[in-house]
Amino acid sequence: MTIRIARRTALLGTLATPFLAREGFAQAETIRIGTLTPLTGAGGSYGPAMVKSVRSVVEEVNGAGGVMGRKIELISEDDETNPDAGVRAARKLVDVNRVIAILGTWASAVTTAVAPLCWENKVMLFTVSGGDGITRLPHQGYIIRTQPDSNLQSERAAAFMLKQGVKKVGYLSAQTPFAASIYERHSQVLKAGGAQATGNVIYDATKTSFRSEVDQILKQQPDALFLNSYQPDLLVLLRDLFRAGYDGKRYTLGYAANDALLAALPTEVTDGLISYAPSPDLDGLAYKNVQSVIGPNPDPYSCQTFDHINLALLSIAKAGAATGPAIHDAVRAVGNPAGTLVTGALAGMKLLASGQEINYSGASGPCKFTPIGDISGCKFRFDQVEKGKTKLIELS
Amino acid sequence: MLIEVLQILINGVLAGAQLAVPAIGFTAIYAVLRFPNFAIASHMTVGAYAGVLVNTTLGWPAAVALLVAFLAGGLTGVASDTIFLRRLRGSGPLTTAIGAAALGIVLENIVRFVFGNDPRGFDLPVLRDWRVSLGELGRLRIGPQQMEAAGASLIAMAILFGFLGFTRSGRMMRAVADNPMLAGLKGIDAESVARRTNFVGMGLAGFGGMLIGLDTSVDPLTGYRVVLPVFAAAVVGGLGSIPGAVAGAFVVGIGEEFSTLVLDPSYRTAVGFAAILLVLTLRPRGLLGERAL
Repeated sequence: MTIRIARRTALLGTLATPFLAREGFAQAETIRIGTLTPLTGAGGSYGPAMVKSVRSVVEEVNGAGGVMGRKIELISEDDETNPDAGVRAARKLVDVNRVIAILGTWASAVTTAVAPLCWENKVMLFTVSGGDGITRLPHQGYIIRTQPDSNLQSERAAAFMLKQGVKKVGYLSAQTPFAASIYERHSQVLKAGGAQATGNVIYDATKTSFRSEVDQILKQQPDALFLNSYQPDLLVLLRDLFRAGYDGKRYTLGYAANDALLAALPTEVTDGLISYAPSPDLDGLAYKNVQSVIGPNPDPYSCQTFDHINLALLSIAKAGAATGPAIHDAVRAVGNPAGTLVTGALAGMKLLASGQEINYSGASGPCKFTPIGDISGCKFRFDQVEKGKTKLIELS
Repeated sequence: MLIEVLQILINGVLAGAQLAVPAIGFTAIYAVLRFPNFAIASHMTVGAYAGVLVNTTLGWPAAVALLVAFLAGGLTGVASDTIFLRRLRGSGPLTTAIGAAALGIVLENIVRFVFGNDPRGFDLPVLRDWRVSLGELGRLRIGPQQMEAAGASLIAMAILFGFLGFTRSGRMMRAVADNPMLAGLKGIDAESVARRTNFVGMGLAGFGGMLIGLDTSVDPLTGYRVVLPVFAAAVVGGLGSIPGAVAGAFVVGIGEEFSTLVLDPSYRTAVGFAAILLVLTLRPRGLLGERAL
């Protein structure tokens, strides 16, 4: 294969050289951190706010003189919610910009594709992806994720049901890769709490009626049902359960029981439905900071990227070095339960400079991580539908 | 066990009645125009939207909204045939079928662009099922609204058979379906028959789409979700045969429900296609054969 370089291209390349060199000079002074969020594609509605949230922290810290006297330079790339584009953008961040950390990968497929590039180059990767497999990659500690995986979500949901006194829970699940594993985890937790999962009817979500499925699950006479559904099939299921005369408890996922679903169904069909979702720490100071940047109802992902940048900066200050391995080593130490509680990088850095221990508690939650990089102790919100509107019944 | 079988039979008959109307529309268009019009899915969606809009904004009752759904599906069908598919028909059935599938996706996205992705429900209460006691055997449950929908299907089918048997337009459609060349020699205008067929066929699709919307809710994928069972019903019954489409719809509907007795419900869709394979292998012309319009 021959590579042809047109004269015009060569000229352009030569003209661009000074810009490359300038980047090279800047590197010695600033601390370079990248965001890799979906600005377009399926996650495109989340990415811009995620970056805005990070930028607000960077501007605040830079305004106060930076970290250890060095300014932070933020380089923002678009992963297009697409692993291919994500890897290309990550290559640029790692090879050209020489960032020490990448924040905010959203889709699990993008995170999985980008992760090896990060750990091989000792670049810290902070992600909001929930896929179970991500933290099981051989990442040598270079992945931190602030989104609970489906395993933790299942534990919390089942524990909540137990607290509400359920005895026999039937499961109706749309056919997804997680339908079986979620049921398995639920039934373990229920069993340990003295209750019982009576069976998992996995259904084809494209069907327009689930009458036989409903009959099948009600045969066991459960006192509660868990509907592991998406919005369109949940809508049909709720109607069919109502018609069948089922009056027991119904639990489902927050993203399925959204406002559009409630608007499309009569209130007598939806009332009493309980849904749950991972939640930011709604009463925390850090959450209020995010609200002041993003608006009154920030999405969970911009809360999480707010924590990503704070954790990264505090780790640099704690380690006294601005490198990927420094963040890797210090990221758990900035959440020391014995230290002083802080909710932002600036306050934390002051305490660290005076030799004190700190305990960072973020917008998305307490930000404590297991050895493989999973979040532990994240908060969940439980909502119940009342007269066609969701109402928060518990935040824990 | 007997009560379960009876219950599944009822569920299957009600599901089959839901599939039958759009399946008739599909097979009627095939009988006259000789190509599978996959755009039927989006015409079902258009009908369902028309029905839900006049019901929720103008407060029209469901029976009137069904007529609006028929008209909306039918007029969209005539328009899409006149503007797009008519030009493709000369290039053979395969080209036209692919064009129809493309047109269906475009229409679906126009609906999405105008009305958004959120589901819309009819302004009707959801009724609890009737309980029918069979003594020691147990109880059966029957949905009043499903019965109404099945009744509406039956009425639509009866009107269609009357139309085909006793009106001039209906007889012209049957003549073209039977032998287009002979019909042409007799002075029947093929284009006019094509228009009428599209109006009736896609009108039935819109009608059937709204029946499904009544039972579930209406969103841009309403028609797309059932297009495969509808296609299966038409093929099983014999493409081009209207009584065949009705028989096929009940075979697919009842078959899918009965499969839940022995198979996991997630395999329900496969049953319709297993039925296609079986029928085409044993009886390539379908249950009732074609040309029985």
